Amino acid sequence: MASTQETSYQEPLLEISGLKTVFPTDDGIVNAVNDVSFSIARGQTVGVVGESGCGKSITGLSLLQLVPSPGRIEAGEILFYRNGGDEPLDIAQVQPKSELIRQIRGNEIAIIFQEPMTSLNPVYTVGDQIAEAVALHQQVDKKTAHERAIEMLVRVGIPAPTQRVDEYPHQLSGGMRQRVMIAMALCCSPTLLIADEPTTALDVTIQAQVLGLMQELQAEMGMAIMLITHDLGVIADLADEVVVMYAGRVVERGRVDDIFYNPLHPYTQGLLRSIPVLGRTVQKTLPSIPGTVPHPLALPTGCSFQPRCPERMPECEQMPELEITSDGTQAVRCWLHADSAT
Amino acid sequence: MLASRRFSNINRKLPSTLQISQKPVFDNGENRAETLYLKNKNMKLLQVNDLRKYFPIQKGIFQRTVGYVKAVDGISFDVQRGETLGLVGESGCGKTTAGRCLLRLIPATSGSFIFGEEQVDLAKLTHREMQPFRKRIQMIFQDPHASLNPRMTVADIVGEPMRVNRTEKGTALQDRIVELLESVGLRSQDMRRYPHAFSGGQRQRIGIARALALQPELIVADEPVSALDVSVQAQILNLLAELREQFNLSYIFIAHDLSVVEHISDRVAVMYLGKIVEISDAETLYQSPQHPYTEALISAVPLPDPNAQRKREHIRLEGDVPDPSQPPTGCYFHPRCRYATDLCKQETPKLREVTPGVQVACHHSDTLELQGV
Ligand SMILES: Nc1ncnc2c1ncn2[C@@H]1O[C@H](COP(=O)(O)OP(=O)(O)O)[C@@H](O)[C@H]1O
Ligand SMILES: Nc1ncnc2c1ncn2[C@@H]1O[C@H](COP(=O)(O)OP(=O)(O)O)[C@@H](O)[C@H]1O
Ligand code: SF4
Ligand code: SF4
Ligand SMILES: [Mg+2]
Ligand SMILES: [Mg+2]
Repeated sequence: MASTQETSYQEPLLEISGLKTVFPTDDGIVNAVNDVSFSIARGQTVGVVGESGCGKSITGLSLLQLVPSPGRIEAGEILFYRNGGDEPLDIAQVQPKSELIRQIRGNEIAIIFQEPMTSLNPVYTVGDQIAEAVALHQQVDKKTAHERAIEMLVRVGIPAPTQRVDEYPHQLSGGMRQRVMIAMALCCSPTLLIADEPTTALDVTIQAQVLGLMQELQAEMGMAIMLITHDLGVIADLADEVVVMYAGRVVERGRVDDIFYNPLHPYTQGLLRSIPVLGRTVQKTLPSIPGTVPHPLALPTGCSFQPRCPERMPECEQMPELEITSDGTQAVRCWLHADSAT
Repeated sequence: MLASRRFSNINRKLPSTLQISQKPVFDNGENRAETLYLKNKNMKLLQVNDLRKYFPIQKGIFQRTVGYVKAVDGISFDVQRGETLGLVGESGCGKTTAGRCLLRLIPATSGSFIFGEEQVDLAKLTHREMQPFRKRIQMIFQDPHASLNPRMTVADIVGEPMRVNRTEKGTALQDRIVELLESVGLRSQDMRRYPHAFSGGQRQRIGIARALALQPELIVADEPVSALDVSVQAQILNLLAELREQFNLSYIFIAHDLSVVEHISDRVAVMYLGKIVEISDAETLYQSPQHPYTEALISAVPLPDPNAQRKREHIRLEGDVPDPSQPPTGCYFHPRCRYATDLCKQETPKLREVTPGVQVACHHSDTLELQGV
């Protein structure tokens, strides 16, 4: 196997290795996240992509010890390089209900979800909710917190913020609610924002606004972004690095240009081929990946992509390792690219 | 008649791929099959004239009408036999409402829809008179989960329209269900299972099989792939295209963004706030849009190509779609349009033909140089 160490010129923020998150169920143990390794550098945008059920959300939730019960992190490290700390903190070892993880959540690592309505409380005004988020993490009085809330609304481009601050979530459009979520997430200037399908429920025009806003705020505040999405267009637009997941595992990762212009894994290749590219597919048959993601309790033996893979070979009956390419910038889990396979 | 039906049942068992070049075998009324088959593609199947749907806004204890949500505000278009018309626009611009009016699921406020070779105005029919036409126009919905009854088996779901309309019964019905399932890529063993046992893409296939059950001529597909993963989207889009050829179907294909409809549409109509702002053949629309809103919609679709995405000029529309009960003055798009002039604030542009087959509603479309893909 090639080395598992990557030469990185950027200052690391998060190094995840061998992460395994499981859900015990009546029918068996679901390995939602299985041997996942990748890192996020400071200020960088890492896109995580894959079909539904591939483990993207559970990976994101694991980073904050927010895995819903009965799920739990079973193995692996999540090394977090905190501001001012010399030694990284292994979040995988932190108790989900501890004071420490509470401090990290929101303050240092924030998360936003696809449907803001589920994270916003319908009975409180938008302003009260942002103010509460501010007060939770910073020692400020009520008035200052409220002012901070208005400031944040201005910053995320909500029109008429002094009026909107007193409105309730249902009075806002989907795009505005997502802006409010971003305002709440960024009010404490976290070093990492985990955005789980932040624009999937929005129209493309509103998606473009929200993604543009995230880019602007990133340039201003310098936070890293872990962007979870199934939309490769969104990845192409924002990501520096890309992690492709399939059936709980990382099957390929690398720089955005390499993933798009030199995809190595047959799954990445299939995903790229199956997206309609505007202006190029008028009245043509779209290549598609046959079949669907396997059920986590009925994974095929060996490579999980086997039943859908056009390149399947006898070796594929064994699970390939995630191996780093010779130039060290891309990693792929496929027998076609395993140098040790003979 | 019985004999011929049995004969066609044999045909129906052929895998769908073998049937593509054959004449449609979906014939339970022999005459229909003949006429269907003789139709050439360039015949008008549906012509919609000035369709409007205003929802009253009621207030107070007396439920007084204080205004109207002009969800669909005078749209006209036609659909040829075998053609797919894409209907695109941001959420809330009236696409679903237009589709529901066409199916007479809700009454239109005004307008006519001339349907079929009979040239019948569906909007004028009584509920009873509408009955025979209901079979001929079907709808596929966005959320395959919500539109399938969880307590019915797949066989019940797909068979229901045939039972209700008494088109098939007994073993013929069973055969027909199997045939329908196979034509959408499901297996006959799936018949006895319930919707929850299927993935999103498979559930959408069940919805499509049900829509095909009564051999419709027109299918209104309301965002049929919006809730699916890209790889599955491609499978369903390919299936819909294949079925269209096989059964000489016409589609009105509704979507909220331009990337999905391009692949399946012959022509595309772009809607904004209840009105059609541009309608043209798909290729022209994408290459050289004539309306600033179309240009913005194209620009907003992120290309899965990092270099192209970096090089591209991004037109970012500000704000949301305005409230259709209080539309802006003049051109409804003017508050978000980067080319708006004083004229645009005052006068509503009419939809007019600028080149053959291309209609646009913009005061300045002749002088603007808009960016396509
Ligand atoms: N509460 C749970 N109980 C059991 N399995 C779960 C639970 N939550 C998620 N999973 C499983 O974990 C896998 C990964 O899910 P998820 O991370 O949500 O996927 P993605 O975000 O990529 O769509 C899926 O197979 C899902 O069924
Ligand atoms: N039953 C209804 N009563 C009142 N307003 C409605 C109703 N149905 C839809 N609308 C309004 O009509 C407009 C168009 O809605 P819709 O047709 O669903 O748009 P789209 O399908 O393009 O997203 C929206 O403003 C919506 O709120
Ligand atoms: S390991 Fe084999 S089955 Fe898996 S992706 Fe590579 S070639 Fe395909
Ligand atoms: S009429 Fe004016 S405001 Fe409307 S789209 Fe054309 S240029 Fe823009
Ligand atoms: Mg998810
Ligand atoms: Mg709709």
